[in-house]
Amino acid sequence: MSEVTFPFPFPQHLELILPEIILATMAMVTLMMSVFLSPARQSIVAWVSIATCFVTAAAVLYASGSAGLTTFYGYFVLDPFAAFAKLLMIIATVFAMFLSLDYMKKEVNVGEYYTLMLFALLGMMLMVSATNFVTMYLGLELMALSIYVLVAYQRDVLRSTEASLKYFILGALSSCMLLYGLTFLYGSTGSFMFSEMGTLISASGDELRFAVLTGMLFVLAGLAFKVSVAPFHMWTPDAYEGAPTPITAFMSVAPKVAGLVVFMRILHDVFPGLQAEYTSILMVMAVLSMAVGNIAAIAQRNIKRMLAYSTIGHVGFILLGLIAATGNGYTAIVFYMTVYLFMTMGVFAIIIMMRRDEIQGELLDDFAGLAKVRPGYALAMGLLMFSMAGIPFLGGFWAKAFVFMAVIETGHIVLATLGVLFSAIGAFYYIRIVKYMYFDDERVSFNFVKSGPLQTIVVLSTLIIVAIGLYPEPVMALCKLAMANFV
Amino acid sequence: MVPLSSFLIIGAALFSIGIVGLFLNRKNVITILMCIELMLLAVNINFAAFSHFLGDISGQIMVFFVLTVAAAEVAVGLAILVAYYRQRRSIAIEDINTLQG
Repeated sequence: MSEVTFPFPFPQHLELILPEIILATMAMVTLMMSVFLSPARQSIVAWVSIATCFVTAAAVLYASGSAGLTTFYGYFVLDPFAAFAKLLMIIATVFAMFLSLDYMKKEVNVGEYYTLMLFALLGMMLMVSATNFVTMYLGLELMALSIYVLVAYQRDVLRSTEASLKYFILGALSSCMLLYGLTFLYGSTGSFMFSEMGTLISASGDELRFAVLTGMLFVLAGLAFKVSVAPFHMWTPDAYEGAPTPITAFMSVAPKVAGLVVFMRILHDVFPGLQAEYTSILMVMAVLSMAVGNIAAIAQRNIKRMLAYSTIGHVGFILLGLIAATGNGYTAIVFYMTVYLFMTMGVFAIIIMMRRDEIQGELLDDFAGLAKVRPGYALAMGLLMFSMAGIPFLGGFWAKAFVFMAVIETGHIVLATLGVLFSAIGAFYYIRIVKYMYFDDERVSFNFVKSGPLQTIVVLSTLIIVAIGLYPEPVMALCKLAMANFV
Repeated sequence: MVPLSSFLIIGAALFSIGIVGLFLNRKNVITILMCIELMLLAVNINFAAFSHFLGDISGQIMVFFVLTVAAAEVAVGLAILVAYYRQRRSIAIEDINTLQG
């Protein structure tokens, strides 16, 4: 009997994947906990999940010390860029879990809910560390499947299940498009590794041009669905409105970060030879997103739908950084994502606190007269809204300013002008909320949920946004550090 | 020897039937799930064909991943559909209209 030899050596540098190993193990442990714990003690799972996130963040910091290494034969990389994105996504997950503590208390089997969030986080962490389409696709699907279920988590609420159904159908369609495009890229290059494909595509001649362009179009369309870029944004408002509000907060930040990181990696590594082509596609997408996001939001009466359009608009601004495709552009994107994380989480925390027994504080009218009853919350909400609108000197202003500066440096003056224009239109609907809060009379009686975690998140997010606004240099330096090896 | 182009045409035809079915279908959601499966199978045919003609095994490995994910996706999709049906008592496309605006 011949000795069986393993064709590969044992993978080196396994410590790079340590955060994912911890996260995957703990996700399964929490699943078991939610099975065996009595309904009254399910909240333990929530705290274990939050602790897991902190441990994972520590592991990311520990593992990212050895920068630029890859593990699993080059299929998994932990560069500073991936580490920074992972930290952002972990913060978003922890915030969303804190938002859920009170909100999901009445649901049955609430333990599984946190398990699904951990699995979604795991999928996103694999996505941002992917150096090839296989890892990227598997991470993407793990994230997407977990989030479909999370959106439908309130099984006895019609709009929750309907939102999930719509999100599922369009999400599955987008995965199919991504894969179909990928088949052509694979057929033209015979590889799934980003860098190898990039070299081969740059060197490929005219006979492969059609296949490569078709592949690129489908892949970009599939990714655009995931980050809700117009014209692939149709699912966003419905999914945001129907989902439980903490999940809306979660999915408006974390998957966007993961999707945009993958977007950047693919454009930068796989299609450097097609920059002229993808830039023109991105320009259309960016202008459409800014237009749809900032104009359609004006007509919304439900604040979750309004924030869905706001997300589309913000992603449009972020795409400007991708169009610039310079070091400054990429750094501006990472900065934008950081600021966007805190703005969004703060706003959703306030929305969740306004939930009353039966009605949720979701209509814009519900904010009328808030300043007279709860001036603190009104001030926080006002600051966050001004920041989203890009009023100086708050975090959102610098985020937009850096993106615009990057895009002007590369000579796209028209795009920057359009961006400023749409930003000014968008300011209308953000500031309208401030007007409701400060100048209108109270229409419904406020009955704020008393919750320490929620208040902490509101205060923390607002303080961070104000701090970044007054003094953006430290965060910018951090983003520069994260992007140093990328370009 | 069947040329590569034949496989790609079959793949493109299946993918197009899937997309057209997804958008033109006005009857019920099960058909949509079937269309999604059809599109994933078209993707698999493409991967397998390219893998064979390139003499590279990784495309066939990707087929296994796609098959696995497709199974998981349908499981989640049907579960969501059941939850939806319990609330709405219908899975007709024209009844999916609670969220609008």
